[in-house]
Amino acid sequence: MSDSAKLRHGLEPFLSSRTDQSGSGEGISIEVQTDLGHINLRGDAANSEFLAAVATALQQELPVAANTMTSGDHRVFWLGPNEWQIVTAADNTARLLAGLREALTDVHASMCDLSGGQVALRVTGSGVRQVLAKGCTLDLSPAKFAVGACAQSGLAKAGMLIGCIDDAGPVFEIIVRRSFADYVARWLHHAAAL
Amino acid sequence: MISNRLEKGGRIDRTQPLTFYFNGKRYKAYAGDTLASALLDNGVSIVGRSFKLHRPRGIVGSGAEEPNAILQIGTGASTLPNQRATQVELYDGLSARTVKGWPNVNFDIAEVNDVFSRLFGAGFYYKTFMRPRALWHYYERFIRRAAGLGESPMEPDPDFYEHRNAHCDVLVAGAGPAGLMAALAAARSGAEVIIADEQSEFGGQLLSSNESIDKRSATDWLGDIVQQLAALDNVTLLPKSTVFGYFDQNFLTIAERCSDHLGEHQPDRVRQRQWRVRARQVVLAQGAFERPLAFCNNDRPGVMMASAVSTYVNRYAVLPGQRVVVFTNNDSAYQTAIDLQRAGATVAAIVDSRAKGAAALGVAAEDAGITIMRGHIVCDVVGRKCVRCVRIAKWSGDNSSTVDASITIDCDLLAMSGGWSPAVHLHSQAGGKNEWSDDLHCFIPGETRQACRSAGAGNGLWSLQECLQSGLDAGVDAAHQCGLKPADLTVPTVGAIDTNKLEPLWRVPAVKDPDQCPKQFLDFQNDTSVSDVRLAVREGFQSVEHVKRYTALGFGTDQGKLGNINGMAALAECLGESIPNVGTTTFRPAYTPVTFGVCAGEGVGDLYDPMRKTAIHEWHESINAPFENVGQWLRPWYFPGDGEDMHAAVARECLAVRNSVGIMDASTLGKIDVQGADAVKFLDRIYTHNVSKMKVGRCAYGIMLGEDGMVMDDGVMARLGEHHFYLTTTTGGAAHVLSWLESWLQTEWPELDVYLTSLTDHYSTIAVVGPNSRQVLKNVGCDIDLERESFPFMSVKDAELDGVSVQLFRVSFSGELAFEVNVDSRYALHVWTLLMEAGGEFEITPYGTETMHVLRAEKGFVILGQDTDGSVSPVDLGMNWLLSKDKDFLGLRSLSRPDCLRSDRKQLVGLRSIDNHSVLQEGAQLITDPEAATPVPMCGHVTSAYHSACLGYPVAMGLVAGGRARMGETIFSSSSDGSVVPVEIVSAVFYDPKGERQNV
Repeated sequence: MSDSAKLRHGLEPFLSSRTDQSGSGEGISIEVQTDLGHINLRGDAANSEFLAAVATALQQELPVAANTMTSGDHRVFWLGPNEWQIVTAADNTARLLAGLREALTDVHASMCDLSGGQVALRVTGSGVRQVLAKGCTLDLSPAKFAVGACAQSGLAKAGMLIGCIDDAGPVFEIIVRRSFADYVARWLHHAAAL
Repeated sequence: MISNRLEKGGRIDRTQPLTFYFNGKRYKAYAGDTLASALLDNGVSIVGRSFKLHRPRGIVGSGAEEPNAILQIGTGASTLPNQRATQVELYDGLSARTVKGWPNVNFDIAEVNDVFSRLFGAGFYYKTFMRPRALWHYYERFIRRAAGLGESPMEPDPDFYEHRNAHCDVLVAGAGPAGLMAALAAARSGAEVIIADEQSEFGGQLLSSNESIDKRSATDWLGDIVQQLAALDNVTLLPKSTVFGYFDQNFLTIAERCSDHLGEHQPDRVRQRQWRVRARQVVLAQGAFERPLAFCNNDRPGVMMASAVSTYVNRYAVLPGQRVVVFTNNDSAYQTAIDLQRAGATVAAIVDSRAKGAAALGVAAEDAGITIMRGHIVCDVVGRKCVRCVRIAKWSGDNSSTVDASITIDCDLLAMSGGWSPAVHLHSQAGGKNEWSDDLHCFIPGETRQACRSAGAGNGLWSLQECLQSGLDAGVDAAHQCGLKPADLTVPTVGAIDTNKLEPLWRVPAVKDPDQCPKQFLDFQNDTSVSDVRLAVREGFQSVEHVKRYTALGFGTDQGKLGNINGMAALAECLGESIPNVGTTTFRPAYTPVTFGVCAGEGVGDLYDPMRKTAIHEWHESINAPFENVGQWLRPWYFPGDGEDMHAAVARECLAVRNSVGIMDASTLGKIDVQGADAVKFLDRIYTHNVSKMKVGRCAYGIMLGEDGMVMDDGVMARLGEHHFYLTTTTGGAAHVLSWLESWLQTEWPELDVYLTSLTDHYSTIAVVGPNSRQVLKNVGCDIDLERESFPFMSVKDAELDGVSVQLFRVSFSGELAFEVNVDSRYALHVWTLLMEAGGEFEITPYGTETMHVLRAEKGFVILGQDTDGSVSPVDLGMNWLLSKDKDFLGLRSLSRPDCLRSDRKQLVGLRSIDNHSVLQEGAQLITDPEAATPVPMCGHVTSAYHSACLGYPVAMGLVAGGRARMGETIFSSSSDGSVVPVEIVSAVFYDPKGERQNV
């Protein structure tokens, strides 16, 4: 059995039940990102040693301003004053995790592979903001939530991490817990259809 | 066929005739009509029966205040109850019916109540149906049916609803002249504006006005300003949208009726939408309600609010009466008389309670040839189903006297005006105070608690010029408060006219004293009259809130929009108090009733609540396992074979686990990663057992207590490294435990170097359980030595199964040899499938939550939340062995409270049915003496009970007062059907009491 056949993101039943195969509606397209790894990183943003070590391991700065993200080799989301989520290529996850672990041996920090528990959706299209506004209480207007903004919030009755990837489109990345992914996908499909 | 339609005028579209049905009868009207204007056009005068007395009632108002025309719209699944005909936009084929009146609304047998109306005073139901108390439920059915407040559909709602969150700088509630000016001023200043109005089109009072603005007709000006607003892309216009709730932090909710006006059921369209708006600034411009006058029989069909009459004439081109008397205590109703006269009706007289009558409008009315009876009052109405004539008396202004009604004027319509009350509802919901104006004789918005201001008639400003000016000022102020530079706008000019002041007339004197004269209604919908309020005061009620509840004043769908102020005035008079001292009742959302659909939005059916699915869910689904809800998770309950019921399936699954091997999806367990130099110190404070003594690679069963010493959560935890732990929690407790631990770290022990991360979704957990479980893992090519010597019970190791990395735990929730496989959820289905294949030779049996429950109950393992309820300590559970004596931990001190040391606390014990076959009822009370007289003293209850297939008899656990000292005693389980089962108190460990099977 090939590795890709063993790997499942969990939304396969949802996608196969949709006739258009994409879970998309008018003015919005929803795509499941299958090739990503997710690392939860915790450490003290006030500790310059920690920041420096992480920057070296990632080859990218950690965002320290609230509700911002940085994009480079990886997308790094600020979750809290001492918590980040690093989204990277799936096959790069183990190496990156090991690199972080090594760099942070003597620093108070923790890192966990969360790849199995996260489902990332890429939603694009002119109708995206309107669809998301049905279930998200945040102000996602371009003025308030531009490229580089991210937030942990709710979508309908599930929690989500959302980031604005591109103003043109616009493109948002929505990351939800795997067990909620089917609910979120069905909700998005319903909300986009009306 | 009757038609009261004027030949020209109005805002209706005469090119679009519509057909509608009222109580099954077919009528015609036009697009642009409301159901109320359509009914008036067709001469339908009776639209309902009153709540208690079943008096015939007609349309009174023209908007949200309507108390009588409360109709059932549509049929079947999409029907809407309690709709105000005045606010229902007509569509072709609309079907409406009355819900009160039997056999029909024109002949209602219960009108006999009215004949005995003196019996039906305030508190009638309380007094009459008090005794015997047991019969209330019987009475209630008939009372509710007689009241007839609409019918809800029995079928699922076929329509779509949605929510929409929105943010704006300025929200304007109400699009009358003040609201429109406010919106324009704010929008021109650059603010993001949302303006909402409950009517089908913007304009408010301008839609039925004959006034002119900037030397143009009001409607021309209106069209222009709406066009200007629509052209601005920073303005969202929401007609057909009621701002119905105003909550803290300037959070407001709006119900938008998106497709109701198109027909009953519109497939593929949203029917109603709830806007949930966070506004930086709010302008309230909801206008004012005209007040009725409290004279005898003021509820007869054909008695209407004067402003409503003007609306029907001017906006809908419908003449509600041919020969009209106007009764007023202020100037505004004179305009109605002039409108009527101009439309071709005969105005028999304007009856004005004030000695000097109106100012400029008085002159205009006289110029139009209308008779004005100054210093007169209408004190009674003759006619039951319609107005036939009114009785008029000369009046000197003395409230306490009776009068001589010597004048009778024939008429078919009485238009009344008792003055105006600002709609202070949203201002009040927002926590604002109301102030009584001695000048205007009404409550006006006072100090506000939120970033809002009131404008226009809603702020007690009656003239159009003042409304426009205050709207402009409010919009400018709101923009300014948002940090914007206000645009330079000038207010349009309207010719000012002189008015004479309103003179209050809270209760109109009658020929008899107020307790003897015919009913003078205050609240039409609830049949509350002046005499009811007076009775309530005589019976000792003084607070306006108490009087409201005793008399029903201000209840119902209209929530007293018409009658409340008059009611308070009647109460004030009776108590000898001033109206502001009596005060108002509380204004609560919703401003007008909203549908359940608006509240629910998209959250119905399978989107009602998230259904969390494990990574193996589709496998369970593929073999049709029934699911059980555990928290938000869906867990397979059992796996029925062909023709098997649950009992047979569970028995088979249990035997398979005990005799060979079973497999269970345990992925829903909460999982928390703990890392940091102080992990041991932290966990030693959380768990009761001695964490510091745990060796790396070993597991422990741990419990955590609340500060009250009661068991809060439990689970296996493992030490993965010197400073690295892995905790499991109960399925339902996962989120709570994580936030509980975080809150200790963040608020009490920030000095500890510990970080927590939830791994619940990352890992899927597969339990392989039973004597052959080791062999199954060997079959999948597990790369580590699984024998007891190198991998003993309660230890953890990293391993690979067919090349997939896993965490392998030797733990057991069944008492059998068992392995729990933690695998990255992306590979979980693959690994599950491998294990199923590898277990084929042992007939590996998937099992669900029910079998898991039976297996653990056979072993006396508790499930928190089932065998405990938050009032059970570890000592009660017999878990003293888990309480370390070498350290402190959360909850420890509470365990030495006297109450925790009582010897008669309920303790967990096993219960064995004496007859060896009765399965006890979970939750059943346990009693010592089944013959005892009621109330029977209870000594505990059953917490878990199952049939055990491998033992051949039922097992049960329960909490019994002083239970552990009562081993061998026989007590009784009392079932809900009244039967009693004798049970013996035994050890809760029924199976393998020495624990040998799991430790091999």
